[in-house]
Parts: sequence; structure tokens; C-alpha cells
Amino acid sequence: MNKIDTPKIGRRDVLKGAGVTVAGAAAVVATGPEVAEAAGTAPRWAMVMDLRKCIGCRACTVACKAENDVSLGRFRTVVQEKTIGEFPNTKKGFLPIMCNHCEGNKEDGVPPCVKACPEFPGERMTFNTADGKKIRYRGGATYKRPDGLVLIDSELCIGCGKCIDNCPYGVRSFNPFVKAGKAPDKQAADKCDMCKERIANNIDPSCVNTCQGRARIFGDLNDPNSEVAKLVKEHNLTKNVLLPAEGTDPQVFYIDPDNMLEKLYTKREKGKLDHYVDLIP
Amino acid sequence: MKKLNRRNFMTLAGASGAVLAAGASNPKKARAIGGDVSFANGGRDFSPVTGKERKAIPTACWQCVTRDSMMGYVEDGRLKKLEGHPGSIRTLGKLCAKGQAGVNQVYFPDRILHPMKRVGKRGEHKWKRISWDEALDTIAAKLKPLRDAGTPELFMYQYGRHKASQAATMYDFMGAFGTGTIGNHTSVCEAGKWTGQESLWGGMYDNWDYDKTDFVVNFGSNQFETHTNHIPTSQRLIRAMVDRGVPLYTFDVRLSNTAAKSTEWVPIKPGHDGLVMLAMINVIMNEGLHRTDHFKYMRVTSDYHATTEQKVAGIKEQVAKFTPEFAESKSGVPASKIRDIARGFAKAKSACLVTYRGTVMHYHGADQERAAMLLAAITNNLDTPGGRVMGVGAGWKAPSTPKAKVHKSLHIKDGFPGEAAFPTHHVSHQVGPMIKDGHAGRPKVYWWSCYNPAFINGDNKEWSSILQDESIMPFLITSTITYDESSQYADIILPDVTYLERWDWEDMVSANQIAEFYIRQPLVKPLGESRCQGDVWPELAKRLGFELAYKDKKDFVRQSCEMTPGVKEAGGFDYMMKEGVWHDPNDKGNYGFYAKEVDVSGDGVILDKDTGVYWNHKKAGVGSDAKYLETKGAKNAYVAQNIDGKALSAYAPNTSFTKSGLLDFYSDNFKSKGLPPFPTYTPAPEHVAMGKDDMILTTYKVAVHSHSRTTHCKWLTEIKHDNPGWINTKTAAERGIKDGDAIKVKSHVGEITTTAYVTEGIVPGVIAISHHFGRQHSGIYGSGKSNPFDGGASADPDAKNMTWKKHGVHPNAVIPNSSDPISGTQRWMDTVVQVSKA
Repeated sequence: MNKIDTPKIGRRDVLKGAGVTVAGAAAVVATGPEVAEAAGTAPRWAMVMDLRKCIGCRACTVACKAENDVSLGRFRTVVQEKTIGEFPNTKKGFLPIMCNHCEGNKEDGVPPCVKACPEFPGERMTFNTADGKKIRYRGGATYKRPDGLVLIDSELCIGCGKCIDNCPYGVRSFNPFVKAGKAPDKQAADKCDMCKERIANNIDPSCVNTCQGRARIFGDLNDPNSEVAKLVKEHNLTKNVLLPAEGTDPQVFYIDPDNMLEKLYTKREKGKLDHYVDLIP
Repeated sequence: MKKLNRRNFMTLAGASGAVLAAGASNPKKARAIGGDVSFANGGRDFSPVTGKERKAIPTACWQCVTRDSMMGYVEDGRLKKLEGHPGSIRTLGKLCAKGQAGVNQVYFPDRILHPMKRVGKRGEHKWKRISWDEALDTIAAKLKPLRDAGTPELFMYQYGRHKASQAATMYDFMGAFGTGTIGNHTSVCEAGKWTGQESLWGGMYDNWDYDKTDFVVNFGSNQFETHTNHIPTSQRLIRAMVDRGVPLYTFDVRLSNTAAKSTEWVPIKPGHDGLVMLAMINVIMNEGLHRTDHFKYMRVTSDYHATTEQKVAGIKEQVAKFTPEFAESKSGVPASKIRDIARGFAKAKSACLVTYRGTVMHYHGADQERAAMLLAAITNNLDTPGGRVMGVGAGWKAPSTPKAKVHKSLHIKDGFPGEAAFPTHHVSHQVGPMIKDGHAGRPKVYWWSCYNPAFINGDNKEWSSILQDESIMPFLITSTITYDESSQYADIILPDVTYLERWDWEDMVSANQIAEFYIRQPLVKPLGESRCQGDVWPELAKRLGFELAYKDKKDFVRQSCEMTPGVKEAGGFDYMMKEGVWHDPNDKGNYGFYAKEVDVSGDGVILDKDTGVYWNHKKAGVGSDAKYLETKGAKNAYVAQNIDGKALSAYAPNTSFTKSGLLDFYSDNFKSKGLPPFPTYTPAPEHVAMGKDDMILTTYKVAVHSHSRTTHCKWLTEIKHDNPGWINTKTAAERGIKDGDAIKVKSHVGEITTTAYVTEGIVPGVIAISHHFGRQHSGIYGSGKSNPFDGGASADPDAKNMTWKKHGVHPNAVIPNSSDPISGTQRWMDTVVQVSKA
């Protein structure tokens, strides 16, 4: 990815290349998505953040605002920055954060936001893989798709805010421009959806596209040839995530050779979202 | 295996449609991709709501002078999104935060959309909406008498960010009208940097060849946040560092993002960059680390014919007193650090010596730029791969209208008599004070655009009072999109288009030495009655009784595309509209322009023995016995320089400096004006006289704002809207100041109150305040109040979600207009202030 001359891959080419068959196997799972029979047929979207290359320019923050028409007063992604040390040996670091599209804990594979959603599990859904298989999963106002994206269905949202309260990273907020479908007097919850319309068309998410340091790398962890899979392996990033002790299994990984992650991260205060505002001091 | 076509795939996906949740009712949303799919890095965009593909149009940014080529994405006639152009060799598909927020320029709720006529007193904010016809008739009625009376120079135009065809169309109109009273803004930008360079390599604009460099030393450039070529250079630098292990050492008074991401931040006292460079030169020469490859192009003493050995000795002698220990005593940079960085710089295969405003916006800033050029030259890093190279931009051809028979200028562009020795880029901050003074004349009509003199200049309150005074400035016109500190005093406001609604060809410098030709085209129809100035000039010309060589801006751009070599053959205007960018695929990059051999057999070409210059005495209109340096205008007859018996293009005098083809590190031009002929250390007089409790005020830009054109962009101002003063923990403690305290900052021209940002990220004794804020008028987002026209907060439903109440304070109120005596550059970084708890 990220080569200028990447040929455009049309829908048909993708399908051909992936060896599509119509009659795919299908499986139904109770809550979390599972891949049936032929494992690995669905992608597992993930992001790698290379902290060496983040220069704190905020292009990602603003690109996201524009792409998703995010209202003032809240963000879908932010850059946190912190100044550390004493003059003249002072350092300053930058930490881009966003929804971690968590895999969920080991027991049930359900991220905390999904678990908190009273409108989950909802209807049975089918995910069609590129190789023609079907994966059954449960929808809801907040749900996890078999490709790993944790998504919001505002039509099903009741505006209760439980997902917002229960995200340990505090990346969710109410969208003043979208009504909760099932409680129109309330606002629907909102957060990063990894620019799902763009990735459905083989275009990098907006924040990735505009990152001049190429500090944000997006791709399919299930594809061993993808840059994200290679980077996770090469830099041993499985544990280089935010709040690993939470057991949420985030799918946003950080290349962090200087061990800055914990020093830079301003955690959420319970019940507040003050940490998730992009503000240059 | 059944072959899928689009329709049966959709059917397949649709089969699960019944159970898809409403949020994913479009079957496309359930489609999955994976496996070894490559993601394109842009060029297409899709509505997150409908999934529908947005219309993609190549165009160019204008949030800052970098002018990235980019893509605009339009949905149902509304601009939704901007991104870098994936086919651009300059931007490589990237765009910065400011560029991304360009959408806000079109739709900010306080935008001026109709011609307005002032009906109250200046500053009373009383306006009447008028038609374009009335506006242009009114203006023509003011201008025509000036032209008819043979005094076209009494019409003054002043601009901020005009470049390429926006500038070309304006200059074309002004030339046809007959006025040369055209002011710019460069003296508040970085003029001294160019003056310093022009005295040496004859031209200006250094690019840093990061793709090939092995070592970078940066003095006072915050290029990871902001730079005149930000996106093309910044991304290459950070990747060079991480991917190739290139070290970056940043000398800065403040821990900017650039300093923070550097291999090492080297704190330095303001105004001492040149001294540290001289100490580095001292180390390199005395340790024999210099490379003599480039010495044949250098002149370091008055002798034009010195040998390399003599030049080595000459440099050593000149820098002998600038030992690292001496530099440490003045700059605060440890001598050991200077030695280490000097050695690393000199030993690297190739190295970039970077400077910017931190170096040049000082007393004798132009001389400090000369020291930077010397450091690059003695290590053979001038215009060599991986070094400090001469920028390469696109050379467009364009239609032009014959100039007026009477063409004159008021001499109010270059500062007061004796103020600046070489104002090669003018002294724009003094235009207002000179008009007030009146000795060099006053324009009867003053028109400005993309410029906000009452905000961006030093002592801006003084500028404001000048614009307000009808006895000094009798008739004011502005074309603008914003109601601001200056347009509030205009007599006629013309609603300009944003850069996203207009045509241009563009030419900004490439980071890889290959010229990129690119265009800007409208993404949406101009809002309201807004009109591009390039469309206004032909209309106005007709009213004044002359015709321009183009009928509107689009026509100007079309003609240019059809007459510019390369672009023309590629397909001209149609090609550029479709692709947006063009470069010569066979171009390998322009390096070493000075080494080109030149034919000197032409008629009239003679060798000037004193200087070694080949020049054409016939072109200069003098006899063959004339001496080059003593002949007026001889620099225009320069042909080549005799270098070791060969006639080479060398460093031709392309600007107002009359010089040989050698790099004049010993400058007769400087000497003739009583300035140091060789780079030296000249501290600012007010710094030498500083008291114990005095501090130095410096200003800076942040990543999300341009100087004065972005505070109404909500997505940027949301991130940065206040500008506390950075003050070192120790300095703050000495004054009893705690983080967040209100503080007073006082100079001899004024006083401001701001809050203290107490940090370990600034040199003790310095206060740094960013210069974007403290807007008197910048609409609801920039100043918290709407302008007096239609629109305002009610025009944007998002305004009720605005969270910030602070709008900062403007440091220019305490910074005097004070010029570098060499270049006339405004000395932003020299102001002595007193800081106390408010």
C-alpha cells in the first residue's frame, strides 16, 4: 500500500483474485462473530501507529473531522501530546489515539462497548467474505463485524450512553446531528468506523491517507503479506496497545521503541471525556 | 467456479439484506474485501452516510504558500473533503491539517458574499449591500482620473499571499493601468533570508534534499509544523530520519514539534544562530574537515584570484575569534555540542543546513543566512545531491497585456531613507507608516487583497489607526472573504472567492528538484456573489478604457497551458483539468546549475580580468574597455564566470546585487554600505543593553494555523484558539509566576495581558507567544462574534456546538516595526519586554 502507482483494483478483480465461490459455508454464533469452517476468510482490519513518525501535525484529526463531518466539541481521533523532562533535556511526544476496534476479551470475544449495549445482540446478520463464504453474526446498536470493525447502527441506538460510559478508552460520544433511531429525542452514539466506506472500496481510511509521516498504517492482520501483519510481527507489537491489562485486545498497535506509550497516554477519567479532545497547549 | 459479475455479486450480498441492520441497509456495506488487497492511497472518496462515490476534482491548496496539489471531493454540489493529490511528485498524496480544513474556508458562516459599501464612519461597521456594477463603477470613477492625469502611481495595490497566476493577472492589470506602487508582505515573512542568499548565489529559495541527505542541522525552522514548503519537505524529513537513520539536530529557543522530533533539541538564545554557525565553521576549518570542491566558486577576501590555500587561510582568519567557547558564552550552546555537531555535519556524505525565521528575523538576520550558506559551501553541500539546493519550480508561460505608456511608482515600498541597505524584497511593514509620514507621497486609492495589514504587521494598532484615518488614506478597497481588522475600514468590500472556487496555474518548488506544473480549478460554484479577482480585472479594465490579454481567469489559465512547453505537448488545458499535475518524466532532477559550461564566443562577450566575469559589453551598451563592476546594469549582461580556465554559468547575479559569478562571502556590496563584508556576529543593540529582568519576546506558528487566514476555520480553531506565553519554569519562578497565571507583557510600544504556560520547553529569559490570535474580527469561530453582515452563527448549525470562549491575544501589539538594517526584514524575534504577574 501507499505506493502512488497502485493499480486500481476493481470489485471483480478482487473477487477473482480471492478465488470466489458462491456456495460458502455459513455458521451462526450466539454473540461474537466467529469464522466458520475455513478460518481466516474474513479480513481483520487493524491499525499500526508508528510513534517514531508521528510529528504531531494533527492532519489526521482534521481529516477525520472533514471525512465524517464530525461536529464541534468532540472527535473521532485525537493526538495527545506531553512534555517530559527538565530543561535542557526536555522531550515532547505525540500519541495519536482512536477507537481500538477491540477484539474483546478471551472468553466471549465481545468488546466492552458491545457488551454494554442494551440493543445487542440484535438481529442475525450475514457477512459475505471475499472468497464467497458466509459468516453469521449478531447485529445491534453497537456490534462487532466479522472483519473486526466495531460499528454503530444509529437506527437501532436508544441514546442511553452505556457504550460511551463503558469504553475504557473513552472514544465514543453523542452525535448532536444524528438522532438515536429508537429514541428520537436523544442523540445517537458515534465514533471511528475506520472509514468503512473507503475501505470497502480499497481506499485507505482518511487519517491514514493524509498522514505525512506514514505513521498510520492500515491493513488486514489476517493477511500475512500485509504491512500491518509484517509490522506487528517484526516489532512484536501484540502487547504494544493501550491499556493491555483491560483485556480488551485492541487492534490498534503502537511501534514505540522508546517506551513512550505509557508516559504519553492521558487516560480517561471515569465518566469524563476530557482526555479525548485535541487541544494544542 | 462460477464467474461473478457485478450484478450477481450484488445479489449475493443482497441476499442477506433482509437481516442487515438499518445502518447497513446498503448491500455494498456488507461486502468484504481481504486477502492481498492493496489499498490505494487516495484519489477517491465516498460518502460515509450513503456510500455513494463523491466527484473527484484535482486542484491546489492555498491555505499557505506551499500550495499543495490536491483532490477535492464534491457531493451534490457541496465540497465535502480535500486530500493530497496521489499523483503529485511534490505532495505524494499528503495534505496537512490546514489543507484538510480548507472546506471551512468555503462554508464558514461569517463569509462575505456580496459587494458592500461603507455607509457609516470608518470602524462604525455600517454597511450597505451594493451590486457589482455599482462597486466597479465606483472604483473606476476613482481610478480613471488618476490614470488620465498621468499619475497612475497614486493607485496602490498591496497583497499578502499572491503567487503564480493570481499574482501574474494582478501584475498584468497593474502594468496596463500604469502603477508600480505594488506592495507585498515578504518583509514580515522571511525577506532577510532571501537577501542573504541573493548576495551570494544570485537567486533565492533553498530546498533541502531530504530524499538523499545523510545529516540535517536545523536552525530555527519549525518545518514539522509549518514551512513555506511544508508537506513536500516535512514528510521527506521524518521518513529520512526513521527509514534511513538520518540525524536531525534542531537549534531553537523553543521545543517546537520539530525540535521535539529531532535527534536532539539544542536550546539557543535568540539571535545567535549565525554565531553558532561561525563556530561550527571554526571547528571544521581548524580540524581540516572542510572540503575544497566548491572553493573555486567562492570568494572569501577582496581578492578575486585567490588560490584555494589562500581561501582556506582567509576563512580561518575570519572565524578565528568565533571559537566554540566564545559561542557558548553568548548563545548558551555548550562548546562540546557545537564541536560534535560540526564534526558530524562535515563528515557526513551529504548534509542539509536548514535555516528559517528563527535565524533571519533578527538584527543582521541576512548576515546570519550568509553564515549558513558558508557552512554549506565549505562542506560541498551547495546544490549537490543531499544538500542545500536551489529550489526548482515550474516555469509557466502566460499571456500578457502591453504596459501603459505612463508607468510610475511611489517610493514607499522600501522603507524610510537609510532604513535598509538592500531591501530586495521590500519593507512592507513600513508602507503604512510611510504613507502616514507622507514625504514620499500618498496613494489616493489603496486596494489590498489576501492581506490584513492592521493585524499582521508590527505595532498593528498604529497600522489600524492609519487605515482608519481618511485624511491619510482617502479611499480604501479590499477584495476579501473575511471581515477583519483591516476590511472593517474599507470604503468598498469586494467579495472574493476562496481558492476552492477559482482557476490558477501553480508553480511552487519541488522537494526533489524536478519541476511540477499544476493547476487549481474550482470545486464548487462561487458562493453568493463572490468573484475571483482574475475575473474582476478584465471588467475593470473595460471601464477604464483598455483591454486585457485574457477575458477571465479561466481563459488566462487555458492560454498558459496551451503556450507552456511540456504542458502543451502533454495535452494542454484539457490534460491539466483532468490530471491536475504534470512533470517531465525524463527529468532526473536539477543539481549543480553552477557547473554548466557556457559558450562565450558570442558577439560582444568579453572577459573582465578584474573579476573573471564574461559579460556582453554591447548588451550593457558600453565599450569593450569598460569594467564590469563599474558599469551600471552590467549584471544584466553577465554571461559566465572564468573558473579554472573554463567559462561556467556559476552563480549569476539574478537580483539587484551587482556581483561576479562567485559566491561573494566577501561582499563588496555589503562593504560599500558599511556592513560587514564577511559573515560575522553582530548582536542586536537592544539585546546588548538588556537589563537583568528584561526578556526577549519571540513568536511562532503552530501546525494548525497560518499566520492570519485560518482562525475562522472551525476545525483548526477548535484545536488551537488561545496563545498563552511560553515561559521557562525557572524564569517564571523568579517572577512568582505559576502556570495559568495572568501575566503582563510590556514593551516600549504597548502592553498585553495573557496567561503563562510554564514549561521546561523554552530557553530561560525568553517568552514565546504564537501570533495567530487575539483577533478583533474573525467571525464567530475566530473572535467569538459575528460580522455585521448576513450569515453569522445562525448560518452554521455546528456553531451551537462550539466549546471555546478564549480567543487569545495578539503579540504584534507589543512588537515595534523595526527592520534589519541589511534587508529591511521585520525583526519579529528581537523585542525586549518586561513580564510580570498581572
